[in-house]
Amino acid sequence: MCGIAGYIGFRRADEVIISALKRLEYRGYDSWGVAVRHENEIRLIKRMGAIGDEKTYSVAEGNAGIGHTRWATHGKPSEINAHPHTDCSGKIAVVHNGIISNFQSLKEELESRGHVFSSETDTEVISHLIEEFYKGDLREAVEKTIGRLKGSYALVVMHAEKDELVAARYKSPLVLGVGDDELIIASDVPAILDYTSRVVYLEDGDLLVLMKGDFEIFSDGRKVNRKVETIPWSIEDAEKGGYEHFMLKEIHEIPRVIEDTLFEYLSDDIEIDISFAAGVSEVTFIACGTSYHASLIGKHLIEKLAGIPVRVEFASEFIYHQPPMHRTLAIAITQSGETADTLEAMRIAKKLGARTLAIVNVLGSTATRIADHVLYTRAGPEISVAATKSFIAQLIVLYLVALKLSGMTKSEMEGLLDELRIMPELVKGVLEHEDEIRAIAEKLSDYGNMMYIGRGIGVPIAMEGALKMKEISYIHAEAYPAGELKHGPFALLGERTPVIASLTPDETYEIMLGNIKEVKARESIVVAVTGHDDAEVEKYVDHVIRVPRTDALFTAVTHSVALQLLAYHTAKARGCEIDKPRNLAKSVTVE
Amino acid sequence: MQAVILAAGEGTRMRPLTYTKPKVMLPVANKPILQHVVESLAKAGIDEVVLVVGYREETVRRFFGDEFSGVRIRYVSQRKQLGTAHALLSAEHLLNDRFMMLNGDAIVFQDDLKNLVNEENAIAVCEVQNPRDFGVVELEDGIVRRIIEKPEKPPSNLINAGIYVFTREIVDYLKKTPLSVRGEYEITDSITMAIEGSMDFKAVKIERWIDIGYPWDMLKANEIILSSIERDVRGEVEDGAVIKGNVAVGEGTIIMAGSYIVGPVVIGENSIIGPNCYIRPCTSIGDNCHIGNAVEVKNSIIMNNTNVPHLNYVGDSIIGENCNFGAGTKIANLRLDEGEVIVNVRGKAVKTDRKKFGAVIGDNVKTGINASVNVGSLIGNDVFIGPGAVVGGFVEPRSRVF
Repeated sequence: MCGIAGYIGFRRADEVIISALKRLEYRGYDSWGVAVRHENEIRLIKRMGAIGDEKTYSVAEGNAGIGHTRWATHGKPSEINAHPHTDCSGKIAVVHNGIISNFQSLKEELESRGHVFSSETDTEVISHLIEEFYKGDLREAVEKTIGRLKGSYALVVMHAEKDELVAARYKSPLVLGVGDDELIIASDVPAILDYTSRVVYLEDGDLLVLMKGDFEIFSDGRKVNRKVETIPWSIEDAEKGGYEHFMLKEIHEIPRVIEDTLFEYLSDDIEIDISFAAGVSEVTFIACGTSYHASLIGKHLIEKLAGIPVRVEFASEFIYHQPPMHRTLAIAITQSGETADTLEAMRIAKKLGARTLAIVNVLGSTATRIADHVLYTRAGPEISVAATKSFIAQLIVLYLVALKLSGMTKSEMEGLLDELRIMPELVKGVLEHEDEIRAIAEKLSDYGNMMYIGRGIGVPIAMEGALKMKEISYIHAEAYPAGELKHGPFALLGERTPVIASLTPDETYEIMLGNIKEVKARESIVVAVTGHDDAEVEKYVDHVIRVPRTDALFTAVTHSVALQLLAYHTAKARGCEIDKPRNLAKSVTVE
Repeated sequence: MQAVILAAGEGTRMRPLTYTKPKVMLPVANKPILQHVVESLAKAGIDEVVLVVGYREETVRRFFGDEFSGVRIRYVSQRKQLGTAHALLSAEHLLNDRFMMLNGDAIVFQDDLKNLVNEENAIAVCEVQNPRDFGVVELEDGIVRRIIEKPEKPPSNLINAGIYVFTREIVDYLKKTPLSVRGEYEITDSITMAIEGSMDFKAVKIERWIDIGYPWDMLKANEIILSSIERDVRGEVEDGAVIKGNVAVGEGTIIMAGSYIVGPVVIGENSIIGPNCYIRPCTSIGDNCHIGNAVEVKNSIIMNNTNVPHLNYVGDSIIGENCNFGAGTKIANLRLDEGEVIVNVRGKAVKTDRKKFGAVIGDNVKTGINASVNVGSLIGNDVFIGPGAVVGGFVEPRSRVF
């Protein structure tokens, strides 16, 4: 996972590229580099660590350039391994996102032909291959080069003597921004928004030539036209808007995100055409990370409301068993629409006969083109690595899908729909308790281990709560169904392991109280998340996080927002980075 | 000559109308404000216009394309609206040696512009009654010495109309301009620095200038523009319809029997007017509208695809696109005490300086039968107002009022 950018126009390219890389930092940030074309030479800088200020780093004057922010996959983070990578002559520079799986054999072949490699990266084979094929026509050389590559790539290439950039995409994201007399190409939209809101989403196999003020796209050697789309997000959407971290800002955006997502699909009735599910006898979710937890909640909802059996698969594991799926609806959930494992699993599910539905946040992303049907979460750009608002938006879509699949009449589901309609208010009710949650978080911040427990829908809530805690506070947090504690994890409990318990107002409530008493007997500190009107649980626990009362089904929203705030404030009390946790990247575009 | 028009802002004071389109694209006399500006420039001999666009820029780009009224149109995206100097600087790479700069939200006229096109460095000034609300210019032998923003004691009643002729020298000053107290890079600060740096700006007086700040200013602009239209009836007029004064009716529009229209009024294309309605002076009705039986409209702007179909009263109001009024929906436009109408703009009371002012209604608003809209209401886009409901004040977009 990496971020790449290229620019050709009338501005100083180094400034544009560095500012674009900063907006791509969420894709990885162990090292970065920029190359600019200056008087028929390639000038370049490479640095370790976070991306600097465009005013501090001046590469060279020039109106064409490329850059890269790296998250190492081949070769450790270092200045040598940072992109751009050049060929032997130093005239060809390449930035690349993806993995070249046959790079070892290509490298041996090129070395035997006398090429000298300076880095440990897979990318460097690309610059040497282009050098090998270059006869004065850069596009032709890149076209021949990508014919030799196996794996995934989004790449931008520059030649010292050519007033153009050549780019190509296969299984890694790449978006072209079309400005007035300028073009900017990057891995993701936020890098482009400073210059234009008009973009072209590129497709696998596309090859582009970018010239000053004009571009051409080729696919299979033929020139093609692709639609220019307008991004409705403003730059402010992609910035912090007064909050200390993107994560906190994004949590506070949840009421609006719910409104926007409901506005899309719910008016008087649920406006989702579910003809894609006609005749299916089972549903299989494929997802990773937070989206996997949304899927587990989706399973709970669909099985409970619609009575259709549901399986939930990690996308990265699904590829290893491949069941027949002729009567299956495969639902892929991915915020970015670019998660490599999920994309691969979708392709396989299709091959196995499944109908595919993608629940995606990013318009025009690869997942939306693979899937037979797409539902969009209207969460806007999510910058924080830890998913918050996009998770809640996924849940909202899942509620609507499950209700629609249930076959309930409008009057039967009216009570639930009404509750869904006031969900933005209920979340505001959770956010009002932020001060109390912060106070509890500060108490938790000294511990090294935590246990999250729940029953029923409380289990995936606990799993997602624990994931948030792990990824941003670096506290080892585990989630278990409360009933499973006695089958092993009890051994871990004690006064140094706080327990976070989600209590939902349904048939699990009484037995959860029993579990909490058992836990309390091991001297663990217990934090309960429960409804406003719960007068019972406070007798048994140390701290209570109160959320507005809802039907148990909707506690996935209210409890999750509370647990997101708990993780955020715990991480903050521990002085963690929060928006860019160590070793993690926002959208995982490698398998 | 080249002209740079600033057209990037949302115009937050124009909400709710600007939730769905940028301020410069709001219609006055059935044409976007910016179209009036571009057409005046074309008539004054401008051959290239650079539009600095931003908020909902697609609307502007789609409307004007690469050429409009015989003028070449070029675009620059100002991705963050950081002030007028910043806006001009974002067009730096396109600037000619000498160019005009003006705002896309103030209507200007060809005669005045003609007086500017031959100048080197010049500032258009305009005489007003209330100079304290503007940037007042202090002159010395016809040369601008100072621009004083909203002074307590104005040295003259000549104000800066925001129309300039610059030579490229101004660019250096744009780059040096510091952030103002308002937190913006402002062209007036750049000019002040240029004057200190020995550039001379000639004051050129203009006669007519319609600055549009709040929605009710659109009604004033509408009155002024309509006052000079000519009679031009292209649609079908049935027997028994009465058209008095200067009325323009577009192609495909039908005026049915019993309609009584008193100009100046402009009606767009493919609209259905009547039967039996009363359209009073200073009204603009867009394309594909329906003004039906027993409806009275006066001094109002009704945008495209909107139906005011039966038993309605609309006075001194602005109604967005794609609205539909239920039978009997009426807009009040006069307080019972006949006092000045004060509008609640997001919790802040703003004086309209008008005794008669109805409502501003955003796009896609639907009302039920007998809904009543109170004086000075601002209603957001996509609002539903139920039957018999009474609304007033500021209604957030997408609300449901029952």
